[in-house]
Amino acid sequence: MLNLISFDASPLGALGQLSLLAALAFTLGGTWLAVVGGVKADARATEAARRAVWAVFALVSLSTLTLMAALLGDDFSVRYVAEHSMRASPTWIKVTSLWGALEGSILLWAWLLAGYAFILSLTLRRDALRPWALAAMYASLIFFVGICATVASPFTPLAQIPADGRGPNPALQNHWMMAVHPVLLYLGFVGLAVPFAYAVAALVTGRLSDHWVVVTRRWTLVAWAFLTAAIVAGGWWSYETLGWGGYWAWDPVENASFIPWLLATAFLHSIQIQERRGLMRSWNVWLIVLAYASTVLGTFLNRSGIVQSVHAFAGGPVGPVFLGFLAFLLVAGIGLAAWRAPHLRDDGDPPAALSREGAFLAGNWLFLVFAVMVLVGTLFPTIVEAVQGRRDTSVGPAFYNAFAIPLGLGLLLLMGVGPLLPWRRAEGQGLWRALWPLLLAGAGTAVLAYAFGIRGVGVLAAVGLSAYNVVGLALLTGRAWRAYRASGRGGMVSLVREQPRRYGAYLAHAGLVVMALGIAFSSAYRQDAQVTLNAGAAPVTLLHETLALESTRVEEKPYGQSAIARVRIDGVPFETRMNTYIQGGDTPFPAPAVRYGMWGDTYLVVTAFGEDGRWASVRLIESPLVSWIWWGTLIVVLGAGLTLVAPRRAPARAPALQVAPATD
Amino acid sequence: MTAPSPLPQARRRKKNPLPTVLGVLALVGLTGFLAFGNLGKSLEYFVTPTEYVQQRAELEGRPLRIGGLVKAVQYNPQTLDLRFDVTDGSATFPVQYTGAVSDLFKEDQGVVVRGEFQGETFHASELVVKHSEEYNVPQTQAELKDLLRQAD
Repeated sequence: MLNLISFDASPLGALGQLSLLAALAFTLGGTWLAVVGGVKADARATEAARRAVWAVFALVSLSTLTLMAALLGDDFSVRYVAEHSMRASPTWIKVTSLWGALEGSILLWAWLLAGYAFILSLTLRRDALRPWALAAMYASLIFFVGICATVASPFTPLAQIPADGRGPNPALQNHWMMAVHPVLLYLGFVGLAVPFAYAVAALVTGRLSDHWVVVTRRWTLVAWAFLTAAIVAGGWWSYETLGWGGYWAWDPVENASFIPWLLATAFLHSIQIQERRGLMRSWNVWLIVLAYASTVLGTFLNRSGIVQSVHAFAGGPVGPVFLGFLAFLLVAGIGLAAWRAPHLRDDGDPPAALSREGAFLAGNWLFLVFAVMVLVGTLFPTIVEAVQGRRDTSVGPAFYNAFAIPLGLGLLLLMGVGPLLPWRRAEGQGLWRALWPLLLAGAGTAVLAYAFGIRGVGVLAAVGLSAYNVVGLALLTGRAWRAYRASGRGGMVSLVREQPRRYGAYLAHAGLVVMALGIAFSSAYRQDAQVTLNAGAAPVTLLHETLALESTRVEEKPYGQSAIARVRIDGVPFETRMNTYIQGGDTPFPAPAVRYGMWGDTYLVVTAFGEDGRWASVRLIESPLVSWIWWGTLIVVLGAGLTLVAPRRAPARAPALQVAPATD
Repeated sequence: MTAPSPLPQARRRKKNPLPTVLGVLALVGLTGFLAFGNLGKSLEYFVTPTEYVQQRAELEGRPLRIGGLVKAVQYNPQTLDLRFDVTDGSATFPVQYTGAVSDLFKEDQGVVVRGEFQGETFHASELVVKHSEEYNVPQTQAELKDLLRQAD
């Protein structure tokens, strides 16, 4: 920490470090100005704070570019480059090394945060929320820029410059998805800082305007879409690199990204209750504070090592600093909310159970319980370790599946009925009339699936609920479309263009149905078998496929080697690799060969090679509908994008849009 | 009919009971699940052979991870049948596993196997190498041993 800057040892490192320190100075100054602007209602101070954000963004961008230049230019005088990059890597690997290890990933986080703050500074309204939203954004920036500039600086110079770096983590060199997944994930995580900033501003000023609702919903939706894409991209990476044919293992790292997703999803629904009915105001503020805190918690859990072992906790300074920030967020957020929540009054009567807001609220509770359970499972080994002194325990997937499956099915059930229910109150008879086609379709499809030989209760429920949801969405859309066409205003496309938000939500729900089917079938009907294939021997039958080893060969690469087995499965050639990297020692990394199919994937991994290429052991995995998860996610993200499109005004007799008051 | 009161009472905003009721129900369910559910059962412990000997009564039949050094490897690549002994110097147990192993599975190498004991034999469902903090795989045997040492 003392040796942060040395121009002689490392010019690039010094440039990066200096720009980080300058960014920190602007951050601290900007915080001061924002608070002054808020307390004294001083528009000039607020304006100065707003402009300081631009300087922070420019300076953090400069340091990010500097690190990128150091990585691409193999400048091993920068410690981060020496430890996590090497000359022999292809360029795209050098680029991804920017976020391939701790310090770089925190810098990426700080940069994206500064970017979001920059966009926020351009879009903030001139109202009472403005200085406080800036101040809250600055509070996050102080932490992330501060941690980059000090304890987790990627720019510390090296006294002894190595001839070549140690190279990136082998697991990260194996698949192009590593270039995409972390960036998406951070865009999602960091994006939640903005609604959090608005929540803090609303709490400090006690003003929850209609504008607050619109803006936080939109920002959360952007972050949520990134987070959704990121979680599934991570699953895809896992599917394509780890060689186990699965995509989700309830690993603490995965859970850490799932908890904020659950909370953000809950928020996106309950904010609509506030929007339409003026209810749940303080609830929404709480949710968004918790969602943002959970992103920091997730990063803390992964970066401190506390999840695997309490002892790693003392290892680096980053863990405790994250814990401190988390504690600050929770104390400040909860304190503010407890102080101000009584002022955030609801407009009307409590939501009725049989109403759309009732369904949203019930869904909220399911999401919340889900998040708490995932958190409990993630932290339980740590608690056991602290209490019982047993090291390195872990909670198996069975624990998670025991609640995730019923909760997931419950959410599917609510997802279908929610949009059918009217706001405020549904009469019993009206509800039944709306619901019976869905229930009939669900039950009918489940019976049909049973007749086709599906026996798993969870899968039958998932199939039935999917049909129930699809019929519900189709009915709603069809009814609206018929009425629309009858009024002579146009067809389906113009209906969607007039109400992009509603149909975007329907599309996202349809995407979730596709995903749910993919998850249900691929986890219930996955088949897995291993065999050793001999060159020149008769084909082996495995899982209804015939396998024959055609050849094996080894390709040398500057960064390691690939052993490749060429196997014919039912006549189709598959090339499956086992990569070893120089940094990885002897440990092989499988690169499976996957034949993607609409109804199922054929997945082949080579697990061992014989001497002289006479034999190769392979693992064959057949799992149905896996690709539905990827396609479903695409639909969900498209749906989320559609909800953000500005509605085209109805051509006839549209009332002039009233400009929402900036404050209430 | 009772006489109407001269002025309606000032409208007090009623506290919405539904979230509270649902919340309490959910929390009760959660607690019940934790108390009677399978969290304790689905915990998987990491032990060395000596620790297993000491706590056999408690650990028998549970999912475990056992860590130690590999001895006496017998592997048939054609049947994918692997047998070896796992030892920490003072206690030794035979391990049985079906599945491919590459030729780096050698004598005296550190290993962590997941599975459960059936009698004296450990039936492994998976051979695992523990992730370190930065998700680097242990690169040398010394690092693996270090991992194993941390665990005892």
